[in-house]
Amino acid sequence: MRFCVGAFAGAHGVRGLVKLKSFTGEPDAILRYRPLTDEVGGREFQVTLVSTAKDCFVVKVDGVTTREGAEALASVRVYAPRAALPATEEDEFYHADLIGLAAETTDGAPLGQVAGLYDFGAGDVLEIAVPGGKPLLVPFTRAAVPQVDMAGKRVVIDLPVEA
Amino acid sequence: MARSVWKGPFVDGYLLKKAEKSRGSGRNEIIKIWSRRSTILPQFVGLTFGVYNGQKFIPVLVTENMIGHKFGEFSPTRTFYGHASDKKAKRA
Repeated sequence: MRFCVGAFAGAHGVRGLVKLKSFTGEPDAILRYRPLTDEVGGREFQVTLVSTAKDCFVVKVDGVTTREGAEALASVRVYAPRAALPATEEDEFYHADLIGLAAETTDGAPLGQVAGLYDFGAGDVLEIAVPGGKPLLVPFTRAAVPQVDMAGKRVVIDLPVEA
Repeated sequence: MARSVWKGPFVDGYLLKKAEKSRGSGRNEIIKIWSRRSTILPQFVGLTFGVYNGQKFIPVLVTENMIGHKFGEFSPTRTFYGHASDKKAKRA
């Protein structure tokens, strides 16, 4: 399994340097994840940091020596293997792991699928995509999400009552 | 210019009633509110509010360090969701 850590944003100069935009929590973490590949894993990118620019890094990619080569990489997304991520603490989960899990009610009835996780400053919020219905937003708390079963690829949701 | 201290914090009256009722019930509840302008008071700590952002109700679990802020600050109306990448979520 791979997860997206960034994207090439275009060429920098005429010597084949490429702008690399980071999507990671700490921007420079992208330079520590190895190996960086494209989406399907068919192409591996050996990147070396050259300098930093506004909102991105300027990197040298092995095998890219011309501006045309750098331009060809523009908007290519960069992926890292899931195994490269450090282990989490108890009750801590990577967004990439939670997204896509099946959501069930406490009775075992299917509810939908985890579509996203957001943090607007008041705790994490789980978005559940409900087939044929409006998405549900549930606080990511022990009360509302009593069970996260990574092995079974499901989360159990105790739907809060609306008052 | 800051609000005069003698007026006290602003909060819509109906919120206090709803919060009191929800605390009394002891159930896993989301209190739906439209009042984004109301100040978060100490008596709201521990409750979960669904703050309307014009489209949906965003769950806001009130903690102590949110006291004095407005509900609307935690329910953005325009959102760039960003990328999941290596971000972590901790179950509260």
